[in-house]
This record gives sequence, C-alpha cells and structure tokens, in this order.
Amino acid sequence: MSKKNDYDPSEIKRAMGMTAKNRVSNTVIYVVLVIMSIVWLIPFFCIVFQSFRCESTWMAGYVFPTKWGLDNYINLAKTDFWKWYTNTFIIAVVVAVFQTIIVLCMSYTLSRFRFKMRKGLMKFMLVLGLFPGMLTMIILYRVLKDLNMTQANAVPGLILVYIASSGMGYYVSKGFFDTVPKTLDEAARIDGATRAQVLWKIILPMAKPIVIYTVLTAFMGPWGDFVFARYISMNTSAGMNVAVGLQSWLSLDQINNRYTMFCAGGVIVAIPVTILFLCLQKYYVEGVTGGAVKG
Amino acid sequence: MKKVLAIVLALVMVLGLAACGTPANNNTPANNTADDKPLAGTYKIKVWAAENNQELTKKQIEAFNQSNDMGIVIEATVEAVSEADAGTNMITDIEAGPDIYWFAQDQFARLVNAGALDKLGEGASKTVSEANDPGVVAAGSINGQLYAYPATSDNGYFMYYDKSVIPETDIDSLEKLIADCEAAKKYFAFEAQTSAWYIASWFFGTGCHSEWEMDNDGKYTGVKDDFNSANGLIAAKGLYKLVSSPFHLSSSKGAEFESGAAIVVTGTWDYEVVQKILGDNMGVADLPSFEVDGKQYHLGSYNGCKLVGVKPQTDAKRGAALHQLAQYLTDYDRQMERFNELAWGPANLKAQSDDKVKANPGLAALLQQNAYSVPQGQIHGSWWDIAKVIGDDVKESGGTDEGLKAALQKYQDKIDALFSMSDEEKNAWTVIGDINGDGWSIDLPMEEVSAGVWKTTQKYDLKAGNQFKCRQGKSWDVSIGNGGDNYVVEKDGSFTIVLTLNGDSGTITLE
Repeated sequence: MSKKNDYDPSEIKRAMGMTAKNRVSNTVIYVVLVIMSIVWLIPFFCIVFQSFRCESTWMAGYVFPTKWGLDNYINLAKTDFWKWYTNTFIIAVVVAVFQTIIVLCMSYTLSRFRFKMRKGLMKFMLVLGLFPGMLTMIILYRVLKDLNMTQANAVPGLILVYIASSGMGYYVSKGFFDTVPKTLDEAARIDGATRAQVLWKIILPMAKPIVIYTVLTAFMGPWGDFVFARYISMNTSAGMNVAVGLQSWLSLDQINNRYTMFCAGGVIVAIPVTILFLCLQKYYVEGVTGGAVKG
Repeated sequence: MKKVLAIVLALVMVLGLAACGTPANNNTPANNTADDKPLAGTYKIKVWAAENNQELTKKQIEAFNQSNDMGIVIEATVEAVSEADAGTNMITDIEAGPDIYWFAQDQFARLVNAGALDKLGEGASKTVSEANDPGVVAAGSINGQLYAYPATSDNGYFMYYDKSVIPETDIDSLEKLIADCEAAKKYFAFEAQTSAWYIASWFFGTGCHSEWEMDNDGKYTGVKDDFNSANGLIAAKGLYKLVSSPFHLSSSKGAEFESGAAIVVTGTWDYEVVQKILGDNMGVADLPSFEVDGKQYHLGSYNGCKLVGVKPQTDAKRGAALHQLAQYLTDYDRQMERFNELAWGPANLKAQSDDKVKANPGLAALLQQNAYSVPQGQIHGSWWDIAKVIGDDVKESGGTDEGLKAALQKYQDKIDALFSMSDEEKNAWTVIGDINGDGWSIDLPMEEVSAGVWKTTQKYDLKAGNQFKCRQGKSWDVSIGNGGDNYVVEKDGSFTIVLTLNGDSGTITLE
C-alpha cells in the first residue's frame, strides 16, 4: 500500500485487489473483536442486570430480571457495606498518595543519583521482588497482631502493609525518568535549583503520564485486594474491606438472601475505578508504554 | 543479620507463650454453692455466629444475662461468620479467634487437633448428652469425651420436587424419577459429580461404610472403608443410572427450579427459596430407591449438625462462665427459639418430638431420610477431594462392571495412600506397652544408634511388672519382646530401652 501509481493499470488492479483483501481481513478482525468484546462484557452485564433484580434474591439461572428496581442498592445501607466501602476508600486513597510519593522519589533517586551500591541495591530489590508477597503473609500477620493492627484495627494495618514495600515498584517510572535528558537537570542545577526542585519543577511536569500511572496502580492494588485484607481483618466486620465483606455474603447461609445485593455491591465497587480510568485513560497508556524504554 | 535473628527469636518466644496459654480447663460448674457466686463478674467476649443467627444470638446472650443467678454478665461482640467457615478461620489464629463459636461438625476434628475446643466438664457432659440426639453427641465427642455443645441436627439432605412435573406415585423410585425428568425435559439436580457429601449417599444406600479412626488428640490413625466392594459396585451401578442421564445436573442449589430442574436434592437451607419458586407445587420427600439386579436400595445420606464450641481459656473462672453461656445457648428453650425464628432443626430430643417441629415439612422429610442416614462422624479432610471424583469416574466408566470396578479401585488406592508409610517408617522400631501411662496404644519412638541397635529417644520410668514389646513399622507383623512374649520389667527405675537385633530375632535390654 505504500506506493500508489494511478497511471499504471496493473498497479490499480493490485490496489483494488488489496482493498478487497483489506475488506475481508477487516471483516474477520471486526467479527473476532466483536465476539471477544461480547465474551468480556457478558459477565459485567450479568452482574449489572442481577443487581437490579427485585423478584428474588438468590442466584437465578436467567439474566434479565422480570421485576426491575433499586431495592438491592437501597438494602445495602442496612448492612455493613458502606462501612467496608469507606474502609476500602480510606486505604486506597492513603496508599495511593504515599505510594506515589515514595515510588517517584525512589525512581528519581535511582535514575539521577550515582552512589555506592546503586546497582547492587537495584539488583537486590529485583531479586527480592521475585519472591511472592504471599510468603510473608504469616509473619506479617503476627507482626501486625502484636502492633494491635488486625481485626477491627485492620485499616491502618493494611495501609502499612501496602505502603511498606512500595519503594520496590520503581521500574516503570525509573525507565521513564531515564528518558528525560539529563542536560535539563544540569541546566536547572546551573541556574541554582536544588535536587528536589529539579524533581518537582522540571521532571514531574514532564512525567505526568507516569505519575498518573503510579497513582492508578497504587489505588487499584488495595481497592481490589482480598487475600491480605481477609487475613488481617480476621472476620471482624469493622475491619473488612469491600472485597472481603462482599465475599462473606457468598457463604451457604447467606447467599440465598444476599446474592443480588452482592451484585449491587460489585457494581458500586466498580464505579470509582471505572470513572478514574475513563478520565485518566489517555495518560495511562502513555505511562505504561512511556516507561518501557530501556533503562 | 543480628536484628533479624533477634526478631525471629522474639517471635518464637511469643509463639511459644501462645502455645502455653491454652491449658485444658476442666471446669465443672456443676458444684457451685449458691451462697457465694464464684463465677460472678463481667466478661467481655467475642462470639461467631452465622449472619442469620447473629441477632438471635445477641438476644439470647442478653436473656442469659438477665436470667442467670450466678452473677455472670456477658458483654459480647457477635461477628457474622458462617458455621461452614468457622473452623478454617479459627485455626488461622486461635488466639484472635472468638471465645464461643458455632461450627459445622465436619470441622470438629481439626478444631480439637488445633486445641481450639475446651472439653466439657463431667456435669455438663452428662446433662448435654442426655438431652440431645445421640448422633449429634457422637459428632461432638472423641472417644466418649464431649468437646462441643450440640445445637442443631439438620445438616442433611433430602429431595425437593416439582409436583407439576413429578407424580407423587413416582417419588420412591429413582428409575421412574429419571424417566419423568427425561420425558418432561427437566433436570434432576443431584450433586453427584462434584461433592463427596452427596456421592456417599449411594454407597450408604447399599450398606457400605466409611468410618475414620482417630486417637485422643484428634489425629487420624486409620479408616474402615468398603466402598470398593461388591456392595460398592451395586452403588456405582445405581449412580451410573443417574449420572449417565442427559438430564442429570450436578448441583444442589434450590434455585435450579428456576432454571429447568424438576428435582433438587439439597437441605433445609434451601427451603425458603424452593418454596418461593414453586409455591404450592413444592413437594418434599426422602430420597428414592434404586434397583440393581431386581433388588431395591434406598439411597442413604449423611446427617450432620451444628455445634457450639468454647475456646480454651487461661482464666479458669472465665472458662467456666463461658461454658455456662454455651450450655444456655444450646438448651431446649434456645433450640426451640431458633426453630421458631430460623427453622433450624433442633438436636434436643425433647424439641425433636415437639409437634411443631414434626410438622415442618422440610424437617419431616429429613427425619424420614434419617432412617437411612449415617451420622457424619469425624472424616479425614482429604476424603472430600478423594471421593468427589467418584461421580465423574463412574460416568466415564461407561457403566461396565470393569469400568466401575476400576473407578472404585482408584478411590481405594487414594484412601490407602493416606496412611501408607515411607520405607523409613516401615523399617523403624518402636516400643509399645503398658508403660509411660499408656495401655498398648502409643508407639514410643526409637532410633538406630548403630547397625542393628535401636534405642528409645529418651528414658522412661518403668515399674516392675510393666510389660512391653518392640515392633517394626507400628504393626504387629514383626515384633520382639522376650522372644515372642511380652518383655516384663523386673525392677523400678528410669531406663532407656535398647533393642539389639540379631537376624530375625533380637534381645531387649534396659540401660
């Protein structure tokens, strides 16, 4: 397709052939894409529809409710749901703020400073990062328990857990910072800027996508976490996050009364994340790919 | 590095203390003298009860505070934890767990094993055992010792059916039921391919057993299981009839009636749902019979229960007060209250014979089925996974005798593997006898100090007249005493037992 020559009939023919070919391949691609998006969207729509079902509260074998209404959403207020929601929100926001600061500082340091053991430290963190976080679960639980940060006090405990190791997630943003020319730093330094000023005034304004990417991932982690949250809250309703709380509605004795409310809860959980993504999508893609340059 | 070591050591110490913090309290609150109130006081406790039982439990604890004349005041936080999950959650961290909790009986052994259940005192034991269904009492005991309070007896399954599809005359015959479902193109929902709990029904129906043996610490020591037998083959043939039907659905959800089921085998917990869906068309009945070689076999079932446990307490007084409360929560009146409000089938014998209880259709069907049921005793945790594949294996066998036998053999092999020992264990010698406060039930370990010479790992206090033998692989196939007889201790003292092997024979000496 790169070269078109209107004067050469054979070229035109070939071009037409290619359009026809294109049309076929486009059709195939679109059919595949449509099928894929249907497959991906079905569960989501099922949950949304179920959350509006008012005629019964158990798991039903059909998708479209016969009686629509907001009962399930209204009933959520009668449970601990909003308590769990608030817990999750507090955790996610605090973690998003702190983790972003830590990650950005870490990346800046590793990208711009040259100090003894810099390489060693990076390698060490890489190796450390290879261990699954779950390995530390039991010992973390014991430590948090001794600090009285489990059960009803799980919120500060969870915040601590999520923030504690956040410095190790520096790869993507360090990669991005490395692409910002060092000469900019040097110019700023010559003009009398401190290292911190370089970060805040020079680098960060250029690194908006990566900041947003960091905030998003920092927010998403605790927002959807289940395993740690479940262990640390240890079945105490006051310390649960929304994933753990909603899961407790799926036990045999509750599911028949709570299934549609569970779906309603799920929809509400999805709302802030969806909005966040819709607004920040543009930066998100840039952020993910922006950092993927050789570091 | 030192710091890390220090932290680890500190944690080990803490853990060690935690382990010491749970001595077994045998609080017998029976002999309270009325003039002084030894248990009087305010206790802050944590309780786990299922979500639907949460409010009622709070109310009942409040009523206990009002009515008890021992001066006990309980300030309880009641958290919603389903009985089915309580065991797993409790074992995660017993220290942080509740003081009183509801649990389903299948978790009993694990809880005893983990030291999460406090034994009942003698007085309470007697009262509780006399008042409740013997099957439930057995479910809460190990070798006659009660560890938990029986609270319900309704964890069993029976058959719900849609009267508009299934004629009442057919409900006793599996073959007719399958034919009805196939004719109406409706499903027969029986969780025969994914749940051991339901699959066992077929085997119990033909008189098979699966009984697990346990020592006093709640550890499994063996199993008597004859699913792989002539009777088991009959059961497998019956099971094949159902699972090979295109209208069999491996599910136990009452809501399946909304998605094309005409029969669902499940328990009382789905009663409300089925009633709402089917209305007047709801029928309940005990399980049907199936026919193999001209003989009828009524499907069996597990019947289980819910229990209330008390966590061992460091403070004996507090422990005794908690036992008072647990006993109160599970007595006749409280069980009736739960029946009235939650329709939970009581374990209490007097409550079971109450006319209102008998009139509840779900419980009535369960009671009918109980005639064919097996009390769900202590079952090895792995069994559930081993047995649940029988359904699939039977379906894939094609229904031939060889295929079915192979499926059962596969099951048997997995069960056998649970208790098979490593070569090292098979070769190891142990001492067993009426020594060390034991009566020929515990194997004392020995180690091979040099080729052919085995010594006990510690000294034991032996008394003149004590008898013992050394045996290999914890079995009586190879054993040595004084020749073939028991070795008899001649004088009191603390000795290491030494076994010197000499070919097939050996001599025992005391050092």
